[in-house]
Amino acid sequence: MRALTVTALLVCLAFSMASAQAGRDLNQESKILALERIEKVQAFAARDLKTLDAILDDAFVEVDPEGRTLTKAELLARVQMVESLQYTLDAMVVRLHGDTAIATGLYRIKGIEHGKPLLRRGRFVDTWLNKNGRWVAVACLMTPASQ
Amino acid sequence: MRNAAFIVMVILMAAECPWLLAQQSDQSGTAAAIRALEHEWVEGQSRNDNRALDLIFDNALVYVEYGNLVSKGEYLSRIKWIAGSQLSQIVMEDMSVRIFERTAIVVGTYRERFVGTGKAQVKRWRFIDTWIYKKSGWVLVAAAAAPMPQS
Repeated sequence: MRALTVTALLVCLAFSMASAQAGRDLNQESKILALERIEKVQAFAARDLKTLDAILDDAFVEVDPEGRTLTKAELLARVQMVESLQYTLDAMVVRLHGDTAIATGLYRIKGIEHGKPLLRRGRFVDTWLNKNGRWVAVACLMTPASQ
Repeated sequence: MRNAAFIVMVILMAAECPWLLAQQSDQSGTAAAIRALEHEWVEGQSRNDNRALDLIFDNALVYVEYGNLVSKGEYLSRIKWIAGSQLSQIVMEDMSVRIFERTAIVVGTYRERFVGTGKAQVKRWRFIDTWIYKKSGWVLVAAAAAPMPQS
């Protein structure tokens, strides 16, 4: 009887812990989704370099739809050169791996760069790291729509 | 007094050196292991070796191929059913590895040779792959590539 009680308690504890972990994961996924929206949609459109500087890790690297690599400094410089930018994200999914998160989704960029109209759409894959309790983006690849 | 402080400082710095050297050695060892895994992927694909690929791909792998999202199951299924000669041939070019404790980011380029509309074509791609160290070792959790302009 005692063994049964102990087993039941252990099972309840296990379910409780799993449920708590699932809740924490959902919370982290929501944070990443919010950061994607703050980073891409709002900060890029507003050319908010301060927010972008905080969100992007110093070792951040981007591969743009033309296959070019950009460091954090190069990306921030590029943001300043865009005259207007409208960024739309869709179908975002976040996969957590401990302190690393992979965010994927569809992007649509519309704007003016160097006086010329800019229109791009495709899929992105971002890698985020949780460093000392704060999520930062370390990599981003943007690829054109189905080729 | 000043000499004593200087000597203490030198001793402390010397004590840190082995640790720093060990860290650098760890990082270069990890980078070499990741590069080897990248090559293992290419070779595994060319051999239709699903078992080898299954070991290095995480079950939640995010793989973007020609702009489409492909799951691990879908990718392995395709490798299984298409003869090696019909798969595109991949030649890795340069790659850089950044280590963040248990996460590694690989940025590089590769040439893809495939047969399209009856003739062989070569396309270059720039990729970012993310590897994570889990219980079974380093596994690929994300891979994507963007086409480079034809030179």
